[in-house]
Amino acid sequence: MRDILRDYIVEIIICSIAIILMFFNPNKVILGLTYAINMYISLFLMIFSIAFLSGFISEVIPPNTIARIIGRESGWKGILIGATFGTFMVGPSYVFYPLFRNLIEKGAGINVIATTIGAWAIKVPWIPFAIAIMGWKFVLTFNLLIFAYAIVSGFVVDFFVRGKAKKPLK
Amino acid sequence: MQNLITGLVMLFLTVGLYIVYLRRDRLKLKKAIEKGSKNFLQNSIRIFAVFIIIGVLQNFLSKESVGNFLLKFSGIKGILTGSITGAIMMGPVATGYPISGYLLENGASISLVSSFLASWVMIGIISISLEIKNLGKRFTLARNLFAFISIIIIALLMEALL
Repeated sequence: MRDILRDYIVEIIICSIAIILMFFNPNKVILGLTYAINMYISLFLMIFSIAFLSGFISEVIPPNTIARIIGRESGWKGILIGATFGTFMVGPSYVFYPLFRNLIEKGAGINVIATTIGAWAIKVPWIPFAIAIMGWKFVLTFNLLIFAYAIVSGFVVDFFVRGKAKKPLK
Repeated sequence: MQNLITGLVMLFLTVGLYIVYLRRDRLKLKKAIEKGSKNFLQNSIRIFAVFIIIGVLQNFLSKESVGNFLLKFSGIKGILTGSITGAIMMGPVATGYPISGYLLENGASISLVSSFLASWVMIGIISISLEIKNLGKRFTLARNLFAFISIIIIALLMEALL
């Protein structure tokens, strides 16, 4: 019981805040909850697949396979794979964090994962919509700069995470 | 719709991997399924909590109120306020563009709009607990700090280039 409390402390706080807000403005909280349920339904297949994909990667796939493809030693190949994946994937990046954790545990490079998360900021499917509102010059320059940031971010995060600690995580 | 298509592709990929491996080692696969179910439950609770905050926040902060708040700032103060507001705001970026459009129409600087949008897509204060739990404190701190610095640089570059 205490473990559950400690593990889900953030989630428990969030629910408490929602309940408190309910007294002030029940309609808005209910709208918010409806939004949450709709989001969950629309991302259900992704959340479900990621959970079982993580299970498969951690139990079945040998570490050197992952390390060879997107490990630190894979160099630019790994970085480009991460950047491309991050650029074209849809859905919120935090849904993929558990998968990234598994990949790192199995030998994926910190730099590759940080670049992937960085490139996630480019939302390819929304580009036409963005151009309609902000103009193509703004959108193009903006996304090119983000792409450059994503690549550099991989090196910077990798340097700080691995620089002092011997183990990549924790 | 995009989410559904991506979800379906991922589902086929995952099911495909399991089926291909079925002949090789059932014991390992059983372990993978056990771990997968545990992951699924845990991830669902955590991600759903994030959705609740986004949903509630979106309903308490309207497009005009966020826009009018940001319009009070300009220059480097505008960049800083834009990036902090963008980090708090979350949810699909489709909600971010109309706010940015509103800002530009009402005379906000390119740097403010850029910092707001960049921060929206690059930093998520609400998902930070998920990031720490999965990727560790060092990773989260380094990534978000560097993202914050980059947002300021991107905002200044955008202002200079456009």
